[in-house]
Amino acid sequence: MKELNPLLHSQLRLAVMSILMNVEEADFVYLRQKTESTAGNLSVQLDKLSSAGYITVEKGFVGKKPRTACRVTKKGKQAFEEYVDTLRQYIGL
Amino acid sequence: MEEKRISEKESLEIITEMISRTKDRYIGDGNILMLWGYLTVVMTAVIWALLALTHNGVWNWLWFAIWIVGGIATPIMARKNQRRNGVKSYSDKISSSIWSIVGYSGIVSTLCCLGFLLLKGVDCWSMMFAFALIIVPFAEMAQGIVVREKSFLVGGGIGLLTGIFTVCCIAGGVTLEANWFLPLFMVAFIFMMIVPGHILNSKYKRQ
Repeated sequence: MKELNPLLHSQLRLAVMSILMNVEEADFVYLRQKTESTAGNLSVQLDKLSSAGYITVEKGFVGKKPRTACRVTKKGKQAFEEYVDTLRQYIGL
Repeated sequence: MEEKRISEKESLEIITEMISRTKDRYIGDGNILMLWGYLTVVMTAVIWALLALTHNGVWNWLWFAIWIVGGIATPIMARKNQRRNGVKSYSDKISSSIWSIVGYSGIVSTLCCLGFLLLKGVDCWSMMFAFALIIVPFAEMAQGIVVREKSFLVGGGIGLLTGIFTVCCIAGGVTLEANWFLPLFMVAFIFMMIVPGHILNSKYKRQ
Protein backbone atom coordinates (compact mmCIF):
# COMPACT_ATOMS: atom_id res chain seq x y z
CA MET A 1 0.00 0.00 0.00
CA LYS A 2 1.20 3.52 -0.87
CA GLU A 3 2.62 5.54 2.02
CA LEU A 4 0.70 8.58 3.23
CA ASN A 5 2.38 11.84 2.24
CA PRO A 6 4.42 12.70 5.40
CA LEU A 7 4.12 16.41 4.74
CA LEU A 8 0.34 16.23 4.95
CA HIS A 9 0.14 13.48 7.54
CA SER A 10 0.49 15.84 10.48
CA GLN A 11 -2.27 17.39 12.53
CA LEU A 12 -1.81 21.09 11.85
CA ARG A 13 -0.60 20.92 8.24
CA LEU A 14 -3.50 18.65 7.34
CA ALA A 15 -5.95 21.00 9.07
CA VAL A 16 -4.57 24.00 7.16
CA MET A 17 -4.73 22.16 3.85
CA SER A 18 -8.30 20.97 4.56
CA ILE A 19 -9.38 24.57 5.14
CA LEU A 20 -7.57 25.95 2.11
CA MET A 21 -9.07 23.25 -0.12
CA ASN A 22 -12.49 24.60 0.84
CA VAL A 23 -11.93 28.31 0.28
CA GLU A 24 -10.42 30.54 -2.36
CA GLU A 25 -8.15 32.35 0.10
CA ALA A 26 -7.77 32.57 3.87
CA ASP A 27 -5.67 34.88 5.99
CA PHE A 28 -3.37 33.96 8.87
CA VAL A 29 -5.79 35.08 11.59
CA TYR A 30 -8.64 33.03 10.11
CA LEU A 31 -6.42 29.93 9.89
CA ARG A 32 -5.22 30.41 13.45
CA GLN A 33 -8.80 30.69 14.74
CA LYS A 34 -10.10 27.71 12.80
CA THR A 35 -7.19 25.43 13.65
CA GLU A 36 -6.95 26.71 17.24
CA SER A 37 -3.17 26.80 16.95
CA THR A 38 -0.50 29.19 18.18
CA ALA A 39 0.84 31.86 15.85
CA GLY A 40 4.40 30.54 16.05
CA ASN A 41 3.49 26.94 15.27
CA LEU A 42 1.14 27.92 12.46
CA SER A 43 3.79 30.13 10.94
CA VAL A 44 6.32 27.27 10.91
CA GLN A 45 3.84 24.86 9.30
CA LEU A 46 2.80 27.41 6.67
CA ASP A 47 6.47 27.83 5.77
CA LYS A 48 6.81 24.05 5.33
CA LEU A 49 3.72 23.85 3.10
CA SER A 50 4.89 26.86 1.16
CA SER A 51 8.41 25.42 0.68
CA ALA A 52 6.84 22.24 -0.70
CA GLY A 53 4.89 24.35 -3.18
CA TYR A 54 1.53 23.29 -1.72
CA ILE A 55 0.40 26.78 -0.81
CA THR A 56 1.26 30.35 -1.66
CA VAL A 57 1.73 32.84 1.14
CA GLU A 58 1.25 36.45 0.19
CA LYS A 59 2.20 39.11 2.68
CA GLY A 60 0.68 42.52 2.20
CA PHE A 61 -1.25 45.35 3.78
CA VAL A 62 -4.93 46.17 3.87
CA GLY A 63 -4.97 49.81 4.82
CA LYS A 64 -2.33 50.09 7.53
CA LYS A 65 -2.77 46.57 8.87
CA PRO A 66 -0.54 43.70 7.71
CA ARG A 67 -2.29 40.72 6.16
CA THR A 68 -0.92 37.28 5.25
CA ALA A 69 -3.11 35.56 2.69
CA CYS A 70 -2.76 31.86 1.93
CA ARG A 71 -3.99 29.93 -1.10
CA VAL A 72 -3.61 26.32 -2.10
CA THR A 73 -1.67 25.72 -5.32
CA LYS A 74 -2.39 23.23 -8.12
CA LYS A 75 0.39 21.03 -6.74
CA GLY A 76 -1.13 21.28 -3.27
CA LYS A 77 -4.59 20.31 -4.56
CA GLN A 78 -3.12 17.29 -6.31
CA ALA A 79 -1.16 16.24 -3.22
CA PHE A 80 -4.24 16.59 -1.00
CA GLU A 81 -6.39 14.55 -3.38
CA GLU A 82 -3.75 11.83 -3.52
CA TYR A 83 -3.52 11.89 0.27
CA VAL A 84 -7.28 11.42 0.62
CA ASP A 85 -7.25 8.57 -1.94
CA THR A 86 -4.48 6.80 -0.01
CA LEU A 87 -6.29 7.44 3.27
CA ARG A 88 -9.41 5.80 1.82
CA GLN A 89 -7.36 2.70 0.99
CA TYR A 90 -5.95 2.55 4.53
CA ILE A 91 -9.33 2.90 6.15
CA GLY A 92 -10.96 0.66 3.58
CA LEU A 93 -13.63 3.09 2.39
CA MET B 1 -3.80 22.16 17.69
CA GLU B 2 -0.21 21.03 17.71
CA GLU B 3 2.29 19.54 15.32
CA LYS B 4 2.21 15.79 15.91
CA ARG B 5 1.91 12.47 14.13
CA ILE B 6 -1.60 11.19 13.75
CA SER B 7 -3.40 7.96 12.92
CA GLU B 8 -5.38 7.46 9.71
CA LYS B 9 -8.64 7.70 11.63
CA GLU B 10 -7.57 10.98 13.21
CA SER B 11 -6.65 12.31 9.75
CA LEU B 12 -10.15 11.69 8.54
CA GLU B 13 -11.58 13.36 11.64
CA ILE B 14 -9.40 16.46 11.10
CA ILE B 15 -10.46 16.78 7.46
CA THR B 16 -14.15 16.40 8.38
CA GLU B 17 -13.86 18.85 11.28
CA MET B 18 -12.08 21.52 9.21
CA ILE B 19 -14.58 21.21 6.37
CA SER B 20 -17.42 21.75 8.82
CA ARG B 21 -15.64 24.75 10.39
CA THR B 22 -15.27 26.47 7.01
CA LYS B 23 -18.93 25.86 6.25
CA ASP B 24 -19.95 28.91 8.32
CA ARG B 25 -21.32 31.18 5.65
CA TYR B 26 -19.91 34.69 5.80
CA ILE B 27 -22.29 36.44 3.46
CA GLY B 28 -20.92 39.77 4.60
CA ASP B 29 -22.86 42.86 5.56
CA GLY B 30 -25.28 44.72 3.33
CA ASN B 31 -23.42 48.05 3.45
CA ILE B 32 -22.32 48.04 -0.20
CA LEU B 33 -25.84 47.22 -1.32
CA MET B 34 -27.24 50.00 0.88
CA LEU B 35 -24.63 52.46 -0.38
CA TRP B 36 -25.77 51.94 -4.00
CA GLY B 37 -29.42 51.84 -2.96
CA TYR B 38 -29.45 55.05 -0.93
CA LEU B 39 -27.10 56.80 -3.36
CA THR B 40 -29.35 56.01 -6.32
CA VAL B 41 -32.60 56.86 -4.52
CA VAL B 42 -31.28 60.13 -3.07
CA MET B 43 -29.68 61.25 -6.35
CA THR B 44 -32.84 60.35 -8.28
CA ALA B 45 -34.93 62.39 -5.84
CA VAL B 46 -32.50 65.33 -6.11
CA ILE B 47 -32.44 65.23 -9.93
CA TRP B 48 -36.23 64.85 -10.07
CA ALA B 49 -36.69 67.88 -7.81
CA LEU B 50 -34.18 69.98 -9.78
CA LEU B 51 -35.77 69.04 -13.12
CA ALA B 52 -39.22 69.86 -11.79
CA LEU B 53 -38.13 73.18 -10.34
CA THR B 54 -35.86 74.46 -13.13
CA HIS B 55 -37.04 72.54 -16.25
CA ASN B 56 -33.38 72.43 -17.23
CA GLY B 57 -32.05 69.11 -18.60
CA VAL B 58 -28.48 69.99 -17.60
CA TRP B 59 -29.18 68.47 -14.17
CA ASN B 60 -29.21 65.04 -15.83
CA TRP B 61 -25.39 65.14 -15.72
CA LEU B 62 -25.75 64.55 -11.99
CA TRP B 63 -26.49 60.86 -12.77
CA PHE B 64 -22.73 60.47 -13.18
CA ALA B 65 -22.31 61.24 -9.48
CA ILE B 66 -23.83 57.82 -8.68
CA TRP B 67 -21.13 56.05 -10.68
CA ILE B 68 -18.32 58.21 -9.33
CA VAL B 69 -19.24 57.99 -5.63
CA GLY B 70 -20.27 54.30 -5.81
CA GLY B 71 -17.25 53.36 -7.94
CA ILE B 72 -14.81 54.90 -5.46
CA ALA B 73 -16.48 53.68 -2.26
CA THR B 74 -17.24 50.08 -3.32
CA PRO B 75 -13.66 48.70 -3.57
CA ILE B 76 -12.75 50.36 -0.26
CA MET B 77 -15.76 48.79 1.49
CA ALA B 78 -15.17 45.40 -0.17
CA ARG B 79 -11.55 45.31 1.06
CA LYS B 80 -12.71 46.19 4.57
CA ASN B 81 -15.27 43.36 4.43
CA GLN B 82 -12.68 40.81 3.37
CA ARG B 83 -10.24 41.89 6.07
CA ARG B 84 -12.95 41.53 8.70
CA ASN B 85 -13.95 38.02 7.55
CA GLY B 86 -10.38 36.84 6.94
CA VAL B 87 -11.48 34.46 4.23
CA LYS B 88 -12.55 34.55 0.62
CA SER B 89 -14.79 31.67 -0.32
CA TYR B 90 -15.55 30.40 -3.83
CA SER B 91 -19.00 32.00 -3.62
CA ASP B 92 -17.33 35.35 -2.73
CA LYS B 93 -15.23 35.01 -5.86
CA ILE B 94 -18.28 34.28 -8.03
CA SER B 95 -20.22 37.18 -6.48
CA SER B 96 -17.40 39.68 -6.99
CA SER B 97 -16.95 38.49 -10.60
CA ILE B 98 -20.67 38.97 -11.27
CA TRP B 99 -20.57 42.54 -9.95
CA SER B 100 -17.35 43.30 -11.85
CA ILE B 101 -19.15 42.33 -15.07
CA VAL B 102 -22.02 44.66 -14.10
CA GLY B 103 -19.53 47.46 -13.42
CA TYR B 104 -17.71 47.07 -16.73
CA SER B 105 -21.04 46.77 -18.60
CA GLY B 106 -22.13 50.00 -16.94
CA ILE B 107 -18.98 51.81 -18.06
CA VAL B 108 -19.36 50.53 -21.65
CA SER B 109 -23.07 51.46 -21.73
CA THR B 110 -22.32 54.95 -20.43
CA LEU B 111 -19.59 55.45 -23.03
CA CYS B 112 -21.96 54.24 -25.79
CA CYS B 113 -24.67 56.70 -24.73
CA LEU B 114 -22.09 59.48 -24.46
CA GLY B 115 -20.73 58.57 -27.92
CA PHE B 116 -24.21 58.69 -29.47
CA LEU B 117 -24.83 62.08 -27.86
CA LEU B 118 -21.51 63.67 -28.81
CA LEU B 119 -21.09 62.16 -32.28
CA LYS B 120 -24.67 61.89 -33.53
CA GLY B 121 -26.54 64.24 -31.24
CA VAL B 122 -28.89 61.37 -30.36
CA ASP B 123 -30.16 61.13 -26.77
CA CYS B 124 -30.34 57.48 -25.77
CA TRP B 125 -29.81 57.93 -22.02
CA SER B 126 -33.13 56.22 -21.27
CA MET B 127 -31.32 52.98 -22.10
CA MET B 128 -29.29 53.50 -18.92
CA PHE B 129 -32.49 53.07 -16.90
CA ALA B 130 -33.14 49.81 -18.73
CA PHE B 131 -29.55 48.81 -17.98
CA ALA B 132 -29.93 49.62 -14.29
CA LEU B 133 -33.19 47.70 -14.09
CA ILE B 134 -32.20 44.65 -16.15
CA ILE B 135 -28.51 43.89 -15.66
CA VAL B 136 -28.31 44.96 -11.99
CA PRO B 137 -31.34 42.89 -10.84
CA PHE B 138 -30.13 39.96 -12.93
CA ALA B 139 -26.75 40.11 -11.16
CA GLU B 140 -28.46 40.45 -7.79
CA MET B 141 -30.59 37.36 -8.45
CA ALA B 142 -27.53 35.40 -9.60
CA GLN B 143 -25.76 36.38 -6.38
CA GLY B 144 -28.88 35.42 -4.43
CA ILE B 145 -28.71 31.94 -5.92
CA VAL B 146 -24.99 31.64 -5.13
CA VAL B 147 -25.22 32.82 -1.51
CA ARG B 148 -28.72 31.38 -1.00
CA GLU B 149 -30.21 34.72 0.03
CA LYS B 150 -33.97 34.94 -0.61
CA SER B 151 -34.18 38.74 -0.27
CA PHE B 152 -31.82 39.10 -3.26
CA LEU B 153 -34.12 36.95 -5.36
CA VAL B 154 -37.26 38.84 -4.34
CA GLY B 155 -35.66 42.30 -4.61
CA GLY B 156 -33.92 41.41 -7.87
CA GLY B 157 -37.18 39.98 -9.21
CA ILE B 158 -39.05 43.24 -8.50
CA GLY B 159 -36.23 45.19 -10.18
CA LEU B 160 -36.25 42.90 -13.19
CA LEU B 161 -40.03 43.24 -13.66
CA THR B 162 -39.62 47.02 -13.59
CA GLY B 163 -36.78 46.67 -16.09
CA ILE B 164 -38.86 44.59 -18.49
CA PHE B 165 -41.64 47.20 -18.23
CA THR B 166 -39.06 49.96 -18.93
CA VAL B 167 -37.72 48.17 -22.01
CA CYS B 168 -41.30 47.70 -23.29
CA CYS B 169 -41.93 51.44 -22.82
CA ILE B 170 -38.75 52.34 -24.71
CA ALA B 171 -39.49 49.86 -27.52
CA GLY B 172 -43.11 51.02 -27.70
CA GLY B 173 -42.14 54.68 -27.93
CA VAL B 174 -43.66 55.57 -24.52
CA THR B 175 -41.76 58.56 -23.11
CA LEU B 176 -40.24 57.90 -19.69
CA GLU B 177 -41.50 61.10 -18.10
CA ALA B 178 -39.78 62.18 -14.93
CA ASN B 179 -42.98 62.65 -12.94
CA TRP B 180 -43.99 58.98 -13.07
CA PHE B 181 -40.85 57.11 -14.10
CA LEU B 182 -38.41 58.50 -11.54
CA PRO B 183 -40.62 57.54 -8.56
CA LEU B 184 -40.98 54.07 -10.09
CA PHE B 185 -37.20 53.90 -10.50
CA MET B 186 -36.72 54.86 -6.83
CA VAL B 187 -39.24 52.27 -5.61
CA ALA B 188 -37.48 49.59 -7.68
CA PHE B 189 -34.13 50.48 -6.09
CA ILE B 190 -35.61 50.49 -2.59
CA PHE B 191 -36.78 46.89 -3.10
CA MET B 192 -33.67 45.89 -5.03
CA MET B 193 -30.94 47.32 -2.83
CA ILE B 194 -32.10 49.03 0.36
CA VAL B 195 -34.45 46.34 1.70
CA PRO B 196 -32.06 43.39 0.99
CA GLY B 197 -29.20 45.51 2.39
CA HIS B 198 -31.00 46.00 5.71
CA ILE B 199 -32.01 42.31 5.84
CA LEU B 200 -28.38 41.30 5.20
CA ASN B 201 -27.12 43.69 7.87
CA SER B 202 -29.49 42.30 10.49
CA LYS B 203 -28.38 38.74 9.59
CA TYR B 204 -24.74 39.81 9.75
CA LYS B 205 -25.20 41.28 13.23
CA ARG B 206 -26.78 38.02 14.41
CA GLN B 207 -23.86 36.09 12.86
